Amino acid sequence: MKSVTVDENRCEGHGLCQDTAPDIFELNDDGVAVVLHHPIPPALTRQAEAGVRVCPVAALRIAES
Amino acid sequence: MRLAGHDGPITLLSEENHQPYSRVPLSKTVLAGNDPTERAMLPAASGDIDVRLNTRAERLDVTGRRVHLADGERLRYDGLVIATGARARRLAGRPAGEAVLRTLDDAALLAGRLATAGSVLVVGGGFLGMEIASTCRALGKAVTVIDRDPPLVRLLGSWLAELLTGAALDHGIRLVHAPGGVTLTGTDSIDGVTHAAGALTADLVISAVGDQPNIEWLQGSGLELRGGVVVDERCLAAPGIVAAGDVAIRRIGDLLQPRTPHWSNAVEQARAAARALLDPDGCPAYQPDPYFWTEQSGLDVKISGHLPLAGTPVVLDGSLPGRSALVQWHDDRGPVAAAAINYKIPVVRLKRFGYRAETSTSDRSIVRYLR
Repeated sequence: MKSVTVDENRCEGHGLCQDTAPDIFELNDDGVAVVLHHPIPPALTRQAEAGVRVCPVAALRIAES
Repeated sequence: MRLAGHDGPITLLSEENHQPYSRVPLSKTVLAGNDPTERAMLPAASGDIDVRLNTRAERLDVTGRRVHLADGERLRYDGLVIATGARARRLAGRPAGEAVLRTLDDAALLAGRLATAGSVLVVGGGFLGMEIASTCRALGKAVTVIDRDPPLVRLLGSWLAELLTGAALDHGIRLVHAPGGVTLTGTDSIDGVTHAAGALTADLVISAVGDQPNIEWLQGSGLELRGGVVVDERCLAAPGIVAAGDVAIRRIGDLLQPRTPHWSNAVEQARAAARALLDPDGCPAYQPDPYFWTEQSGLDVKISGHLPLAGTPVVLDGSLPGRSALVQWHDDRGPVAAAAINYKIPVVRLKRFGYRAETSTSDRSIVRYLR
């Protein structure tokens, strides 16, 4: 199982993670990305991997948990 | 491709010697030396993707379905994604050693030179030039931006351009208008420019004069090249070949759309192109959702809508004198674009005021919804 982490100090709220992986990411009212699943269900791993790679400020990481 | 359901082998070729990274921080934290270059690296590709660095594509054989590499190898493919992007444009007739900021190596080199420079001259007042100027000014450098056009007007429209150039001037950035263009000066390295009204010198001169698409390797391939790889509304350049990102030019009806060299387009168009490659007959047309942002001179601006933005927007929330506002542009049918200026809002919501706005919704009900 994998887990996704958000570096909240880096997140600029562009929302590309949410566009790419809507089952994994959501932006809160401050425009900061939050992860909806801990850990990531195996069926959503592909989506999570795609979502972390579109962050323009490299604020997202995915790793084995 | 993986998200769209492709389980077969994928090979990713890159001319650069770095794993995939984001160019977005290069003009900001990496240039400032606040971040090591590693902070720009994106999460590594999953193990089922064969990433080949230092590998340059030299030629495309469409009939034989092969990409010819610089080392002589010929790679066969079933489907091809052209995402060769663009490189920094350089001024014509340049002396040697013209500094540009496009790659991770460029940024690392410039960060080192910047550390010992007292003055910086940026040639070009576009997004990149103005962001470089802002970063350098924040480090206390004496910064001048010179351009043949007023900064940002052609890209953003006059209202936002004036807001951002006003902020730049407030930050102590000097702006020089040279309608006749400039010529770089210096022998071993660039030390300044001449223009019709005079000459400027600086410890560090950086050219930020746009980009040019990497399409030379496709010459003679039979693909249509018009200052980019021409693709149809699905992102197909030819059967089994798609293109996306900075290198792609879309043909809509009889019209060629300008290239859109921005991060969000690269991400969204890549997704559409992957689907088109896997299911060319069943995929929908690519519908861009235009979103742009810039951070400079203390202003963080997020924009939903097609650029440039015409006219003066209305303030939906916040205030411009207070330097935090949500603003919206209209045409005669209703809202067409919105911008969040130092204003926290989830981008999905910004888009509902901007490009995805319901034209029938009145401003008043929008503000009520917002709160």
